Amino acid sequence: MCVGLSAKVIGIDNGMAIIDASGAKREISAELIKDLEPGDYVMVHAGIAIAKITDNDEDETDEIMESL
Amino acid sequence: MKTACIENKKMSAKEIIESYKGKPLRIMEVCGTHTHEIFRLGIRNILPDTIKLISGPGCPVCVTPVGFIDESLMLALEHRAVICTFGDLLRVPGSKMSLADSRQKGASIKMVYSPVDALSYAKEHPDKEIVFLSVGFETTTPASCLAVKKAKADGIKNFSLLVANKTMPEAYKILKNSADAFLYPGHVDAIAGTSVCESLVKEGVSGVVTGFTANELLTALAVAIKLSEKGKPFFKNCYPRVVKSEGNIPAQELVNETMESCDSEWRGLGKIKKSGLKLRADYKDFDARTRFNLPKIPGKSNPACRCGDILQGKCKPTECGLFGKICNPQHPVGACMVSNEGACSAYYQYGGNL
Ligand code: SF4
Repeated sequence: MCVGLSAKVIGIDNGMAIIDASGAKREISAELIKDLEPGDYVMVHAGIAIAKITDNDEDETDEIMESL
Repeated sequence: MKTACIENKKMSAKEIIESYKGKPLRIMEVCGTHTHEIFRLGIRNILPDTIKLISGPGCPVCVTPVGFIDESLMLALEHRAVICTFGDLLRVPGSKMSLADSRQKGASIKMVYSPVDALSYAKEHPDKEIVFLSVGFETTTPASCLAVKKAKADGIKNFSLLVANKTMPEAYKILKNSADAFLYPGHVDAIAGTSVCESLVKEGVSGVVTGFTANELLTALAVAIKLSEKGKPFFKNCYPRVVKSEGNIPAQELVNETMESCDSEWRGLGKIKKSGLKLRADYKDFDARTRFNLPKIPGKSNPACRCGDILQGKCKPTECGLFGKICNPQHPVGACMVSNEGACSAYYQYGGNL
């Protein structure tokens, strides 16, 4: 139940977002993220976008390793 | 060029882990999804003997007490409520049976993806009482709060929550001697922010916030090793693409508005002060315990099940006498064998001798 899903926002309407998660489309609540726009990436849990994210873990881990 | 560079970097995180020869380190992955991903990606296979990974209590299904399942069964069988639940709870054993078993006795149990879906179902079936089983940590709680707030705003009268939501900070303190460092659950901190984990450093509790990809998990382990070598308590956010220091403020405000802190029973760990949530008085009409006047149900778990010891790193699933014999994913005795995120289930699925 805790598995997060990262997805791209393809539409926003009235507090709801249509997301595309690897080709699967779904409507989720976008009420807990301010200023969400089509093209943003989000982390989704239990039908709610919980965080705006970047879709790339490689740059992130590169930077962390360099900071060690 | 970029790919080659990433390969080097990945190797270096992996190499740091594989070549670690320092003092023995106990690292607890708190989150059940981390447990599962670490097994699935084969990360345990590359660990040297000096590093012990402990699967902690961050699977909400695993720590939900037997009494909660018994309460849901009472709602389903005696009060004829339709129970809406995340699928993972279906096969968790109660004192006498699971929710899945109760279907044969006429219970109406419906799997949903989100508490808001349970609310939609309630709107479509005004003649039925709908109860959503609200379990989960900081990550999942806002979804329940959103459903209950919408239910109140829309004047819905046939929807309630059976609440067993939990919060992590007090659990970290209880477990602080079980591990030298925590891999903190990334999605808990995506909501809660990093301030709690940062302040735990003052109490001698070390850890790194961790994502879920191979890159992220290896990097977080390498960082935990490197910072442990410095000999001082530490904190590092290794998942900044998702976790911000302030967390998700609208989600925090929503939870604060609808729920308040309470003591909470954790399966295997007992009662932990201020580690749970309950609905605020303003929302008492949506509290299934009040609405159906439920009695206190203590619940009886199988005394041979060692989930509690496993969640604290005191033993491995394979050291439980029931593992793989009486207890397996088809016939789980304890919750740790039910959920995909449970340690016993992961050991069973990926080989029991790790
Ligand atoms: S193997 Fe089964 S009985 Fe043993 S600790 Fe795990 S869940 Fe409990």
